[in-house]
Amino acid sequence: MQTNWLPEIVNRSENGPFMKEADFDLALARKTAELVKKHGIKFDPKVLVPRDDDMADRLYQAGLELFIEMGVYNQSTERRILFVREEAGAAVEAAPNAVILGCGKDAVVERHREVESTIPCRMHSGPTGTPCSERFHPLILQSCAQEPLVDCLGAGSVATYLGRLIIPSSPTEILASRKEAAIAREAVCQAGRPGMHIEDVAVPLTCAGKIASIDQQVGLRRSDGLLVSQMPELKTNYDQLSRVAYMQSVGMHIVDLMTPLIGGLGGGAEGTAVVTVASHILGVLCYSVSYHFMGHMNLQWSHNTDRMGLWIQSIAGQALARNTPLVAVNDLYTRSGLGTPEILWEVAAGAIVGAVSGLNQHGVGATCGTRMDHTSGIEARFQAQMAHAALGVTRQQANEYVLECLRHYEHTLGNPNVGKSFPELYNTETLEPGQEWLEVYQKVCQELTQLGLDIDRGWRKVRHGENLN
Amino acid sequence: MVKISTDLLEKLDAALRQGNTDEAESLAKEMLDKGIEPLALVQEVLVPTLTDVGRKFQNFEIFLPELMMAGEAAERVTALLEGATLNAGKPTISVGTIILGQVEGDIHDIGRNIVKTLLKSHGFKVIDLGRDVAASAFLEAAQKEKADIIGLSALMTTTLPAQRRTIHLFEEVGARGQFKIVIGGGATSQGWADEIGADGYAPDAASAVELFKMLMGLPSSK
Repeated sequence: MQTNWLPEIVNRSENGPFMKEADFDLALARKTAELVKKHGIKFDPKVLVPRDDDMADRLYQAGLELFIEMGVYNQSTERRILFVREEAGAAVEAAPNAVILGCGKDAVVERHREVESTIPCRMHSGPTGTPCSERFHPLILQSCAQEPLVDCLGAGSVATYLGRLIIPSSPTEILASRKEAAIAREAVCQAGRPGMHIEDVAVPLTCAGKIASIDQQVGLRRSDGLLVSQMPELKTNYDQLSRVAYMQSVGMHIVDLMTPLIGGLGGGAEGTAVVTVASHILGVLCYSVSYHFMGHMNLQWSHNTDRMGLWIQSIAGQALARNTPLVAVNDLYTRSGLGTPEILWEVAAGAIVGAVSGLNQHGVGATCGTRMDHTSGIEARFQAQMAHAALGVTRQQANEYVLECLRHYEHTLGNPNVGKSFPELYNTETLEPGQEWLEVYQKVCQELTQLGLDIDRGWRKVRHGENLN
Repeated sequence: MVKISTDLLEKLDAALRQGNTDEAESLAKEMLDKGIEPLALVQEVLVPTLTDVGRKFQNFEIFLPELMMAGEAAERVTALLEGATLNAGKPTISVGTIILGQVEGDIHDIGRNIVKTLLKSHGFKVIDLGRDVAASAFLEAAQKEKADIIGLSALMTTTLPAQRRTIHLFEEVGARGQFKIVIGGGATSQGWADEIGADGYAPDAASAVELFKMLMGLPSSK
């Protein structure tokens, strides 16, 4: 087995088969359609949490075949990085099944989870793909970090630096990156959790900008992480691979960000599920990541809480849970905005699917990241509560819960309720949620409790290790 | 003028929808051999078929692979028809020349690729400069190709300044009046278009086609 991968990946990037990117896209689309047919992958819009173990295993094989047949497209060299099946198999087998995130008293272990697992999900929070204003960014981060059920914090992205738009590859990118990292560090300290894992600083678009966020005193540390992105579908470039080189050498966590597009090159739900599995294998082989964010999203509106998105999360999660040791995390993007019942129903559906399908939890990208300052701690608390309440739930039960959740928001997806922003819903002095948002949250919690989900006891089970069965 | 037979029209329509490039090209050749005018083929088959394909894609009845394959077939047929038109000494069948690209620093392709496919299927000549395109490259391409419209795409808020910078360059060299410049991409909005002096903004691929047609004085597809 190859052990020193990055020089070899560069070698294959330089000497692999040349292909125009448009031809790669078309070939990938055709191959994916062929594999969906060959392996009999079938999306049923009424069964969003499938119980078909064999289909999950076939999906894994389809994803692996797609990865082997297509390889990874390096946009910097216009060449394909090819791997043989044995290399992929060995690398996946050797991938970590648990990682320690954060340090000191705030460190947590995030584990590989099996289907219908009773192992608690770890909760990643922060402004997921959602831009923040400079004014409210520190408060938003602290509102997330202070939530007891939140385990990790993403620093998110600010739109400006000292009131001016940030220019990539310029000094403002470096300065904004360092400022954002310092604000995230300050937020976890203010929340009394200085060692909490910070998973990314999202403002920089370049390798240099990412590296600028690392500072043992005031920025990101070795116990933190940074995202390395895949471009849809199955693409990388030297800027992304260079991040891997640096983070590996300093011993930071590398986080795999993929955004397979539903309705994109993979086609519908089935093909996107195949691409999603293949993307995880890319994260292992090319990026050597600690954990993976499964960020598939709808091509039209960038959400993943519709039927196709939920089904992909479930079946791809199960395929990975059953066939790999990987630490995988969902990545919820909702159409609705803060302060609305619909966003909580969207989150509930996504959290339940993830919890029973072998995933950890990450959210919430409210309004699909289109509205400024649409993040707060409440929806992260809610996502964690839902995930904990769903521990030990069967896939069949989960499917019924999810269909019920959909009943509360599916009709709004075309014209969503965008709600209100953080400063309209939180007391920005005390950093407590306002009455309006709390009432919406409590009402939805009550309705879910009436459905049979034990929201109150769920987190206690997790904290105190009560027998779930 | 020779009329297109229903049989051939239906066959070409089906070949385009299925992305059967070779068959679509072969049928188009057969039609040209029978004396059918290239422009008639564009107006009676290519545009209505690809408009319908685009509508179905917009409604999520079909997905990107089907759109791309239909677009590829249409592109091959368009190239054939364009060659036949020029050989006959007639003016181009293109309804306008468009320059598209991601502005400097932006590396996202999918949205722009969809817009490109839809524009080509509506008879536009599209020069795609790709991603991370410098302002000067937009200017150079626009002048070289005698473009009608330039489309600047930006997905990230951090690449918005590059849209403004690109428009500024056109103003600085006195070329702004020669071209329409429009913006799109996830980070953009009508407000931003107004602020930077763009001639238009489109929130999605289908409305981008309508915007380009409107700016060219062409009738709407709706």
